[in-house]
Order: sequence, then C-alpha cells, then structure tokens
Amino acid sequence: MNELLQNPIVQSSALPFVVGLVAAALLLPLRLSGLAAAAGFAAAVMAIGNFALEPLTATRKIVVLGGAAALLGALADLAFRPTRFTGMVLGALFGGASLWAFVSILSQKSPLEAALLGAGLVAFTAWLVAATVSLHYDPVRAGAAALALGLGAGIASVLGASALLGQYGMALGAASGAFLLLVMVLGARVAAGTSLTLTASALAALIAAGAMLLAQVHPTALAALALVPVLVRLPLPRAAGWMQAVVASVYALVAAGGACALAWLAGRGWTI
Amino acid sequence: MKRLTLGALALTLPLAAFAAPENYTLDPYHTYPHFAVEHFGVSMFWGRFDRSSGKFMIDRAAKKGSLELTVNTASVSTGENDKGSRPRSLDEHLRGADFFNVAEFPRMTFKADDVKFNGDSAAEVTGQLTLLGVSRPLTLKVERWVCKDNPFNKKPMCGGNASGSLKRSDFGMKYALPAVSDEVRLYVGFEGYRD
Repeated sequence: MNELLQNPIVQSSALPFVVGLVAAALLLPLRLSGLAAAAGFAAAVMAIGNFALEPLTATRKIVVLGGAAALLGALADLAFRPTRFTGMVLGALFGGASLWAFVSILSQKSPLEAALLGAGLVAFTAWLVAATVSLHYDPVRAGAAALALGLGAGIASVLGASALLGQYGMALGAASGAFLLLVMVLGARVAAGTSLTLTASALAALIAAGAMLLAQVHPTALAALALVPVLVRLPLPRAAGWMQAVVASVYALVAAGGACALAWLAGRGWTI
Repeated sequence: MKRLTLGALALTLPLAAFAAPENYTLDPYHTYPHFAVEHFGVSMFWGRFDRSSGKFMIDRAAKKGSLELTVNTASVSTGENDKGSRPRSLDEHLRGADFFNVAEFPRMTFKADDVKFNGDSAAEVTGQLTLLGVSRPLTLKVERWVCKDNPFNKKPMCGGNASGSLKRSDFGMKYALPAVSDEVRLYVGFEGYRD
C-alpha cells in the first residue's frame, strides 16, 4: 500500500479522485460536496509528503492558501448565498494573497520587473477566482471548469519543468473530476458552491503562476487558462445532465488544452 | 644586550608571521562543487555548479580555521542541457521547484568554523550547509591539502579536495525519492589565493 502511494501517478490521479468522490458523497447532505476538490488535493499533498510549513516556501504557501480557500468557501456556502459581488471580493482577496505567496521571488527582481509581474499575478488570480466563483450556482459548469483548471495548470506545469506543481494541478483536476462524476450521476442536487469554485480557481491560479515563476511556463499559457471560466459558459444542449457535463468539460478543456499547447510550444523555442 | 634581544626578535619574526591567521579568497575558476546521486539504484549520476565564491582562513599555530562558500544554484550543470524531443532539459528541471528552486533560493551556502587538523594541514571541516532555506550540519573531509606558490604568478595559494554527504530530504528536496537517491555525495575541488 505504501509503495502504491509513492507512485506519482497514483498520488496525482487515483488517490485524489477516490478521496474526492468519497468526500463529495459524504458531504452531499450538507450541500458541501464542493469540498471534494480540497479533500482530494490535501490527500495528494500528504502522499507527496509536502505537508510542512518550515521553511514556508512559495509551493507550501500555495497549499496554505488552498486550505484557506476551502475554509472560506465552505463558510460562504453555509453563511450566505454568494452573489456576483462575492466573486469580486474573493478575487481581490486572493489576488492580493498571490503577492504574499510569491513575495520571495518578486523581491529578487528589479523594481520594475517585480511591479509588472506582481500586477500580472494579481490580475490573473483575481480574474480566475472572480470569474469561476460566479459559476457557483451551476454544478455542471463549475465542475467542468474546476476539472479543466486543475488539469490545465497541472499538465502545463509538467511541460514547464515542475513535476511537483504538475502533480498538485493534476490532483486538483482529478478531485474535481470526482465531483463532476457525482453531478453526472445525481444531477443538480449536488451543490458546487464557493467551496468548489473558490478552492479550484485559487489553487489553479497559484499553481499556474508558480509554474511560471518557479519553472518555465510561458505567460501566454496562463492567459489561455484564464479563458476556462469564459468558454464553460457557452450554451449547453437540452439533454441529460451527464451529456451537459461532457459538453461543458469539452468547452473548458479547449482552453486548458490551449494552455498546455502554449506551454509545450514555448518549451520548443516558439515565440509570439 | 640590546643587540642580542634584537637578534632574537629577528629570528622569531618568520615564525610569528607563519603562525598568524592567513586569509584566502577562493578562485572561482578553480573551485567547483560536484555532486553525485544514485539513479534507480543503478548508476551514479554526476553534476556540478559552475559558479561559486568564498574565502577561508587558516591559523596553523592555533589549529583554527574557517570557510565560507557560496554556490550559485542556477549554475547547476549535468551536461544534459539539450531538450532533444522533450519540452525541458534535465538542467532546466534541476533549476526548477522540484530540485534547487533557483528562482526562490538562488544561493546555497556552507559556513564552517570548526576545522580539525592533521599536522599543519586541514583534515576535516564542519559547519552549516544552507540549502532551500534549511540549515543542517555538514562535515567535509579534506582528502588533499596543498599549499605552495603559483608557479606562474608566484602568489601563495592553498587548495585541495574535500568530500562529504548529505540527505537531500533533510532540506525538503523530496522529488523523485527513492528513484533518485536521498543520499547526495559532495566533492569539492578548491583553490584559494592568499589575500
């Protein structure tokens, strides 16, 4: 069993998927199935062995902020019905938090470069969080977006030479996929809420930004990833829930695939 | 009597000069920290850091010494820097967050002030290695120690080879364990010129 959990593929796919599915099912009566993403991600981080705070590196701050997003998301789901304004506030909050996550890298840049990178980081994270959180009412679109954001950030990270961030992203995608599977089976009574949308978007944004700053993911890949919450809003067919989930996933995965393609092309020396 | 005292003083002067602490600056063109790890338990895989700097002090009479070595981690090189058909080369991967995380931790330092002697030669150096923001004790055995004048510019120089080992997981570098061994062997060839 221990040997199985040391396998990177198990750590970033099967384990978070199973943990996510169990969490989503168990939390269904509380309308907190969206915590599947956080549960699966946490299981992967534990298996990878990076559940530590000392020293508090950028990758560990990503885990801390993922935990904060899950708590805040669950709190928002339990305390009040999120509005469009909620997404903007959470976007601004996590946009600012991204500066904290990467301050150790930004502080080593020239003032101009740090300002430009910092502004880009805040804008990217704020947009991704705000746009994804606004999908909280729609479990099909929210699940599809979370799946694509995780997989897109993860695969782009691997292509950008960071296997750790790649595992983090793919684990997020796998756990979100488990949530989406439950939506496909049980339909709209599975609530996404901010517990899914905030956790998935904040983590995906930070993983992708980390892969750009700590590895070599090209900024254009992040721009493509930012299109996930836009494309997932395209019209869905009047069909069964599982079919709608498949179509929404295809929409979202087009943007995520674009991000991966741009990360790959940049690695091959392609420039815009 | 005065002449005798002056004469005795003159005789002891070279000894006093020899006993004084000597400070050396490491020659970056002849100081290269190398490392070796086991790959899949099969072969030893070698790499080195192309850029490092530092200084050391040696006081043979007092049997004391110190060393400060700063390594630019972005200069890690295994000779495998051609991407081939892959998106990234091994050296690019080593510079990333999975291993040396050079964007966040561009330097690795070794600061030591515990030097054991074998006669007049340094034999063992113990200090703190700081890597990825974590400091742990490290002992380097000095396997070769030579002091002489540079044959060309006649500057006094000391240098040699030292080696030691560490567990990379102690520093939070856990990626690819155990496929890439936890134990990392260090080999440092160094030369320094007296200030």
